[in-house]
Amino acid sequence: MPQLSLKAMKTFIKVTEIWVPDKERTQLEFGSGLYGGLIDFKAASEQQLFAYNEGLPGKAWAAGHPIVLTKFEHSYFKRTAAAKKAGLTCGIAIPVFSGDFLMAVVVFLCGDDEDHAGAIEVWRNNPLSENSLNVMDGYYGTLQHFEAISRQISMPKGQGLAGLAWETGLPVLVNDISKADTFIRASDAQQAGISMGIGIPVSDNPGHSYIMTFLSAKATPLAKRIQIWIPDQHGKQLICQQGYSKNSNDLAEIFETITVNKGVGALGRVWLTGMPVITGNHEPDYNPELDNLSSMLAIPVIKNGRLKAIVSFLF
Amino acid sequence: MNMLNVLLIENDLDNTLLENSLKDYGFKFLKSKYSPTFLALTKEITPDIIIFNLDTPSKKLLTDLQTLNQQSPIPVIMFAGDSNIDTINQAIKAEVSAFIVDSVEHNRINSIINVAIARFKHQQSLNNALEEARAKLEDRKQIDRAKAILIKTQNFTEDDAYHTLRKLAMDRNITLGEMAKNVIAMSELFK
Repeated sequence: MPQLSLKAMKTFIKVTEIWVPDKERTQLEFGSGLYGGLIDFKAASEQQLFAYNEGLPGKAWAAGHPIVLTKFEHSYFKRTAAAKKAGLTCGIAIPVFSGDFLMAVVVFLCGDDEDHAGAIEVWRNNPLSENSLNVMDGYYGTLQHFEAISRQISMPKGQGLAGLAWETGLPVLVNDISKADTFIRASDAQQAGISMGIGIPVSDNPGHSYIMTFLSAKATPLAKRIQIWIPDQHGKQLICQQGYSKNSNDLAEIFETITVNKGVGALGRVWLTGMPVITGNHEPDYNPELDNLSSMLAIPVIKNGRLKAIVSFLF
Repeated sequence: MNMLNVLLIENDLDNTLLENSLKDYGFKFLKSKYSPTFLALTKEITPDIIIFNLDTPSKKLLTDLQTLNQQSPIPVIMFAGDSNIDTINQAIKAEVSAFIVDSVEHNRINSIINVAIARFKHQQSLNNALEEARAKLEDRKQIDRAKAILIKTQNFTEDDAYHTLRKLAMDRNITLGEMAKNVIAMSELFK
């Protein structure tokens, strides 16, 4: 049964989608998605179209920055009935822009169950204080105390996951947050069971910087493995700067020694086009309990029209 | 008393001789007419052997036998009035263990059943060996493909690629073929 297989997966993110502009570039159509066993929700999504400012992907497009929708009911979310049936209660939409122009919108959907611990946050620079960030929006699941602390904090540039990602303009991955000197909320995170986190700079509008942070507990990782790929110093090839998974994975490490040329392979295509991609096994009978990695979402980090990095989530 | 459970499927032919022979040899049997519920009935009573006594097997029956053979093969004996070569070929294709035309003789029943069971077991062992050979060949292909991936992406020699694959498989306590599939799946992600 679909619901059972998702419960077994116990990953924080249950559905991943990419929405892309249609031929006229006036509305968003389904690009690709990872739905696990949620076949009905997949069917309800594939035919969907979103106009500018419509539904979760359309709102993120219009807003020009990531948005978090913590409750679907009585909201602008368009697939509420199907989401409810699939046990999905919350969504995060991340628009990928090159300058003013939208390349795609990545949507993550999560379920509000007791089995997972983690948080997804959107940080924005504080208009009143140039060098600090505040939580603009966030999904914390059951971590109410951690949410309260996080919403009160001002994060200085260069500190914490969000501050470091903002300062460097690059994704930052910390695999033991409770011991990280740079993570301001280390003790609160430890109490909340959070063990790892990744900060990703997203839309960088004039005057506004937005950083996404994904925080997860060991028992419910974001993905089976997360990698950060960056162009080498000559800008000729992509190299894997960092790879992380809950358990060591020497097969993944072998593939992290490869270099990627522009336009070659999935990561090379992300570099060439600036478009996020999903590759691999999309079949509903995929067994999430196996330790092999069979699907991947790769998101580009773009600044001033140039690729700064690619973050890949492997499932 | 013979311990084998027999499912006897008959049509309107006179079955007295066959039934008496089974009784005399001590077989426990359940009688039924062939119907669309044949597969469900077989699944429910799990006989050790099925004996048909009919004039000619219908297409549907032969299809059901092929399905049965794919799902849970058991020895099948068919006594039939039809000696048409096409019917015989189709019955053999449906993996019927014995096809006897126009002949139900009391003193031969026991030996026909024993020969059918022996033939069925032999056929099963050949099928298993064939399946094993196919799986090995498929594994071989996957291993070669995984080695080629490692050679191309890591600049390994063929020997290095094989030893890396073997170490990965041993660390995971899985077969070389399974590990090869993992390597291929991983490389597909980056394609």
